[in-house]
Amino acid sequence: MRANVWSGRNTVQVENVPDPKLLNDRDAIVKISSTAICGSDLHLYDGYVPTMKRGDILGHEFMGEVVETGSGVSNLAVGDRVVVPFPIACGNCWACTHELFSVCENSNPNAGMAEKVFGHAAAGIYGYSHLTGGYAGGQAEYARVPFADVGPIKIEDDLSDEKVLFLSDIFPTGYMGAEFCEIKGGESIAVFGAGPVGQFAIASAVMLGAEQVIAIDQYDYRLAMAVNRAGATDVINFSQDPDVVEQLKLLTGGRGPDAVIDAVGMEASHGHGALHAAERVKQATRSESDRGHALRDAILACRPGGIVSVIGAYGGLMDKFPTGALMNKGLTIKSGQCHVQRYLKPLYDRVRNGDIDPSFVITHRMELGNAPDGYEIFKHKQDECMKVVLKP
Amino acid sequence: MTSKTAITVRVSPAEAQRLWQTPEHRPEYIKSTEATVTFKRAPGDRGTEIHVDLNRQQDGKLGEAVSKLMGSGPRAMVKDELRRFKQKVEAGVIVRSEGAPEGEQASRKLKQRPAQPLQEPKREKAGAR
Repeated sequence: MRANVWSGRNTVQVENVPDPKLLNDRDAIVKISSTAICGSDLHLYDGYVPTMKRGDILGHEFMGEVVETGSGVSNLAVGDRVVVPFPIACGNCWACTHELFSVCENSNPNAGMAEKVFGHAAAGIYGYSHLTGGYAGGQAEYARVPFADVGPIKIEDDLSDEKVLFLSDIFPTGYMGAEFCEIKGGESIAVFGAGPVGQFAIASAVMLGAEQVIAIDQYDYRLAMAVNRAGATDVINFSQDPDVVEQLKLLTGGRGPDAVIDAVGMEASHGHGALHAAERVKQATRSESDRGHALRDAILACRPGGIVSVIGAYGGLMDKFPTGALMNKGLTIKSGQCHVQRYLKPLYDRVRNGDIDPSFVITHRMELGNAPDGYEIFKHKQDECMKVVLKP
Repeated sequence: MTSKTAITVRVSPAEAQRLWQTPEHRPEYIKSTEATVTFKRAPGDRGTEIHVDLNRQQDGKLGEAVSKLMGSGPRAMVKDELRRFKQKVEAGVIVRSEGAPEGEQASRKLKQRPAQPLQEPKREKAGAR
């Protein structure tokens, strides 16, 4: 089959590789109909995630048709149309039985490697380095889906791929970020990053009843989408004025947002000149892995007693973490890779009900063979790129 | 370096001890050592803590450093086997990826396969179904 593989920093290529086979009784094989490039794939592309290996198949957002099931998979049949959640979860361990699927205790066969870096291993993830298990990803014609009896959701309605594909990651991820904010109605919520996850965090905060939702980004086309499609009430373009903290205070009458969502992660690009320059150097020389302007500003801007929700992907260590602001303002930090399996059914229902059409973020549709172009266009934000969907 | 390691498995102590003896779950490596194995009820609904103590200094200082670096020392092998036991007891399978098809194996850490499907006979050799 053809698959998009990582072949070193800033290089991916579509190659012929063997077809996937079942490795366990609880596996299924899915023939992929649609797959997407995630902003977190750019962290791999840019070379900031350790333990990548040449030839690793990328991709963790995919859906398709079941073509084979192991003997332990009784809930799916050949021909079923499914969306596959990006965290691989066994469904049996303590974490899974408490709906903490992205920290499944069993699904990472490189747990020993992950423990050295994070203290504990988190769940396996498709196509996302060997630290998260060394699983082949879904930017391919076929994929093996472990624990197929737990993860995938069957799509039985006549809804297009584009409407349901993002249940695999970015819609639930953005939703969880908003849910962390404990919105009861009438809140001010700030969202750092108006990329695809940020768009869904904004849309979800609006759905959950926030009164004011402030989008922060450096690209006007992304801020325009945040307002016109996701429902943001205010925007901050930090390329015009980098003092995001002060602008957030002004937009909230000095209070600061009740909760702040970091939908940026480790490659934040705003921040004050000298600190940003120093961080670029440290990250480029690998002496600091996570560039942290967004998270620092989130903590500084959040109102005392508020919540900082971290859904942007981080991978290692950050310098100059504002512990004083965090502690003295009495903030709560909530974070995590999304427990997608927890949100699949309720968010699928919201798509069916017409509460939201997640396809609004798609700007580019390409054949799988053009994946290398897709990565370049997405990385450099060419042609107002927001989200690339690949068709095998 | 400590000679102790532990894991928590989501079954009762009686069940954990019973499974520990069955042919499909028996931890062959741990059984081959002089390790002390203790089963202890975990707090709340957490199941059973399995504590393994290798009871001895391994290989001298240099050997220890080398095996720690390679991730292949006795303690690493005990940890692998405890993780596989937990996977089989809780999930019913040994968890395998394309990059680590044999499942958790400390000696694989430095020589992962690329994460792409395996061709026969490599798949069978890795012990997959």
